[in-house]
Amino acid sequence: MNKVVTCEEVVAQIEDGATVAIGGSSLSRKPMALVRALARSNRKNLRLIVNVGGPEVDLLIGTGRVAEVIYAFVGFEVMGLAPHFRRARQDGSVRFQEWTEYTVMAGLDAAIKRVPFLPTHAGLGTDVMRVNPAFRTIQDPFEGTTLLAVPALRPDVALIHVNLADPQGNGVILGDGHMDALCAKAARRTFLSAEQILLPERLQTYGHDVRILRPLVTGVVEAPWGAHFTGCAPDYRADLTHVQEYLGAARDGPAWHEYLERYVYASDQEYLRALGSERSLGERLRV
Amino acid sequence: MPEYSIDELIITCMARELRGEVIVTSVTSLGALAAHLAKSTHAPDLAVLSTPESGMDAIPMPTLSLGQFLTDNQRAIPLTMEDIFDAIFTDRFRIWINPAQIDQAGNVNISVIGPWEHPKVALVGSRGIPEDTSHLSQGLYYLTSHTPRTVVPKVDFISGVGYTPEREKWLGPHGAPTCLVTDLGVFGWDPQRGTMAPRSLHPGVTADQVKERTGFPIEVPPRLPVTAPPGPDEIAILRAADPLEVRKLEFSSGKDAAEKFAAIYERERQTLHAAWPRRRH
Repeated sequence: MNKVVTCEEVVAQIEDGATVAIGGSSLSRKPMALVRALARSNRKNLRLIVNVGGPEVDLLIGTGRVAEVIYAFVGFEVMGLAPHFRRARQDGSVRFQEWTEYTVMAGLDAAIKRVPFLPTHAGLGTDVMRVNPAFRTIQDPFEGTTLLAVPALRPDVALIHVNLADPQGNGVILGDGHMDALCAKAARRTFLSAEQILLPERLQTYGHDVRILRPLVTGVVEAPWGAHFTGCAPDYRADLTHVQEYLGAARDGPAWHEYLERYVYASDQEYLRALGSERSLGERLRV
Repeated sequence: MPEYSIDELIITCMARELRGEVIVTSVTSLGALAAHLAKSTHAPDLAVLSTPESGMDAIPMPTLSLGQFLTDNQRAIPLTMEDIFDAIFTDRFRIWINPAQIDQAGNVNISVIGPWEHPKVALVGSRGIPEDTSHLSQGLYYLTSHTPRTVVPKVDFISGVGYTPEREKWLGPHGAPTCLVTDLGVFGWDPQRGTMAPRSLHPGVTADQVKERTGFPIEVPPRLPVTAPPGPDEIAILRAADPLEVRKLEFSSGKDAAEKFAAIYERERQTLHAAWPRRRH
């Protein structure tokens, strides 16, 4: 089956209030082309699930798409805090559930395994357990010890960016897989963006690097530079110069609107043109 | 006595805590360099990840954005999230964490300043610290600046659990804090008392300075050892591993940091181009 679609067609399949799991981690392989399409849509009240989040969460909060975020982390690492996330946490305009890295994975895994929860020691004794009512403690029925019960996380949609895909929706990830395969398996529908779409017989030669399997995938978009301004190893590194531009704009009202006009309310071609030529982008970011 | 800077002293103290055949990762350049230094000196069996998204046994050029590229270009062994968390759960993992706050009981906070529900400053979220502080037999923390705002009586939010009644009840010793390295000294926790105490003070640091810059009353015993400074070999290893001085970024801020950052980002590209021709896929 040919599942090739556009970013806009993916967004059309995401409903208001949908729970959207987003792959990648930190400044690595975030599906930013899909996220920008979602940011410029009129979708509202989205619930986001991320593990180590950053630009995707911040942009979707900054464009008013988000009602709730489930996260282990949201920030820009050495570059600083996430401005819209920080503002929304501080003024209470968005709901937040603080989870932890493993518990987000366990929640997705519980959904995949069709069990209501999975137990762990992670989180016991921390304030995460105190402020996040999603977590309960449970008695181990065998030895009587206390464990944290992590409830299933059931995304409606997963958005994932991969290096290569075929039109049937198989996806090759050449770098760190992060928790993307868990997102794809747990979500009711998964959409991929890919740097490049190859014929199935070529994609098949990638063996173990095929990490997203086509029965899980509803649609696939060809989006060169589709993770920008995060990195997509080994194709390109994170664009930290653009991260600085983003952070500067997100901290400032008028500059933020200019940023959106220039980079978000723009087609993918316009986005790349606004960044300079693809050649200069390549020289800066392909290593 | 060779000249050394405070970052080199802190990293050397951090390195000395690492031993055995465990996976060592880091989310900061100081953590990466500590692992590299330990592996290059007294702990050759350490399995070092240069960044969390990197492979095992890469040579860690401390980096702003290139962890994955180091893995790829050096043919390091790629790990999955499952590999990482299973290594945590089986106590085959170490990480140096740089918290926003640490308290007397060794609780640490990277989540929020002020109450979680109404933050004064929302930081980043607890990330993987709850996993570490419920499983690892070494709880390793460092601060580049020991002040009453970072070493506090009680953290605003427990991202990682120290010596508390909840630990006693639910976790036992798994994940308890064991070491804090700051710009003033090396500190530890007696598991019986569960309170922070100095193990050594850095050369030139006085007991009064430690008391002034600690947010709770801290006992500083007389005749405490002076931290052994880094030797010439250790300094040479660190400078060779971090020629771009990424480690200095953790000590600077504002315009200074921005300029340094831009320079490092460009030099990083040039260095990688020169050092490791890219593997094509």
